Amino acid sequence: MADNKEIETTGHKWDDEEGYPLTEYNNPLPKWWLYSYYATIIFAVVYWVLYPAWPTPNGFTKGILGWTQYGQLKEEMEEGQKARKVFEEKLSSLTSQEISQDSQLLQFAISGGKTIFGDNCAPCHGNSGIGSKVGGFPTLVDDDWLFGGTLENITTTIKYGRKGQMPAHLEANGGSFSQAQVSDLTQYALSLSGRASDNAAVTRGDELYHGEASCNSCHGDHGKGSLIGKADGEPIDNSIGAPNLSDAIWLYGSDPATVEASIAKGRTGEMPSWAEDSDRAGRKLNDLAIKQVSIYVHSLGGGQ
Amino acid sequence: MKHQTIEKSVPLMAVLTLLVVLIGGIVEIVPLFYIESTIEKVEGMRPYTPLELRGRDLYIREGCYNCHSQMIRPFRDEAERYGHYSLAAESMYDHPFQWGSKRTGPDLARVGGKYSSLWHQAHMKNPRDMVPESVMPSYPWLAENELDISDIAKRMEALTMVGVPYTKEQIANAVADLKAQAIPDSDSDGLLARYGEKVSLENFDGQSDRITELDAMVAYLQMLGTLVDFSSYQAQSR
Repeated sequence: MADNKEIETTGHKWDDEEGYPLTEYNNPLPKWWLYSYYATIIFAVVYWVLYPAWPTPNGFTKGILGWTQYGQLKEEMEEGQKARKVFEEKLSSLTSQEISQDSQLLQFAISGGKTIFGDNCAPCHGNSGIGSKVGGFPTLVDDDWLFGGTLENITTTIKYGRKGQMPAHLEANGGSFSQAQVSDLTQYALSLSGRASDNAAVTRGDELYHGEASCNSCHGDHGKGSLIGKADGEPIDNSIGAPNLSDAIWLYGSDPATVEASIAKGRTGEMPSWAEDSDRAGRKLNDLAIKQVSIYVHSLGGGQ
Repeated sequence: MKHQTIEKSVPLMAVLTLLVVLIGGIVEIVPLFYIESTIEKVEGMRPYTPLELRGRDLYIREGCYNCHSQMIRPFRDEAERYGHYSLAAESMYDHPFQWGSKRTGPDLARVGGKYSSLWHQAHMKNPRDMVPESVMPSYPWLAENELDISDIAKRMEALTMVGVPYTKEQIANAVADLKAQAIPDSDSDGLLARYGEKVSLENFDGQSDRITELDAMVAYLQMLGTLVDFSSYQAQSR
């Protein structure tokens, strides 16, 4: 091998005692590899000229194309806005009622509303408005409403928020009723959906409900809630949000312990206000977005 | 020049090696001297309040950063979902910063104010109660553990050593400020004077009788990304 002149070696030789030294080949790089390597160097130089590349004491080299990722973002955002603009202008100028009569516009409003809902509302109300396993975040897919299910009601709720107003009743929690009285009220509340276990307590609770505790002023004489609580099914006041106690839909849970906890400690569930002029911190929605979400929520199944 | 020539001459090899290391070193080190120029001048940034700072410590203790980044990149899909892209100025008081590109959970750079504190309380206890498809672990102990505030002043002092501008007054009042933020209806004038009127005062964990780790965690999450006033921010030289 030592006399093989065709292959260039580095000139190092080891273990030459037997006439067959170990040598180190100096193989040239494959041509394709070498030229690709040169090409990448040229590419880099061209890139430096065209695009932002090197830091300088006063900033960085800007590149002759003037490209920045912030500029690109701005362009892409404007492109998206332009595509939506045609629909958005129509949506803004029409009332929710008018929109729901135009199937193409309605479709746009619903898909836009769905996206906005997914980002802002779904965390509490669940994907597609199914509500949350933990009590207090109402499902939006049924027709059992607290503050009304018309487009107008829904818009008001989203814009200005809502606040639960169930006061605490147990003395220890700042109310004015004893533990026994709270238990009686619990039994009466359960009796409204036919689930009471102590008839004597129901009678006592009935008296408290319509008397001293005046639960009926919000929940109605027959526990139908503030929306349909009057004898003729008319609302008592659609801004109170007192739930219907006589149906099978429960906001915080239907078991006696949860019902008792609601009466004893009160409930102050809160729907945040999403209008842009609200003084709440954090993300808000513009009127158009609120309109779209309202239409989406209205379309979920329970809209009135 | 043949590589053989370089290989066989120690002085030449040494000189050329030094040259390569020098170039590498300059490229790595020199930009560090100009790093100030990359931090935008913005309105509204302030160091964390003591309660938020403890929340941040817990965020790191629980390893939240393993799944959540705090860096919104300047792409349309991120801007539409999370809001304005993150600025360097927004993490200038972060040691260490919480940037990242691995997101198993969503980016949290602007999570502040997005959900109610009530939501956070339920979500920390069991995320699946709020988001059925969530793979986030539960952190129920946050609501149970009393918040350790014994060394809060020392934590702030340590941060001043790496450049967070806590004043002597802020450090001296650390415990009082922490309590003022977490206990509703307490005297919060001092806290607001030291950290600004926009500090949110709330019973973050929903338990009025004590300050838990959840108080700190929720206080921290609720202020993330809310400090910079973007209405007055002009994208500088971009």
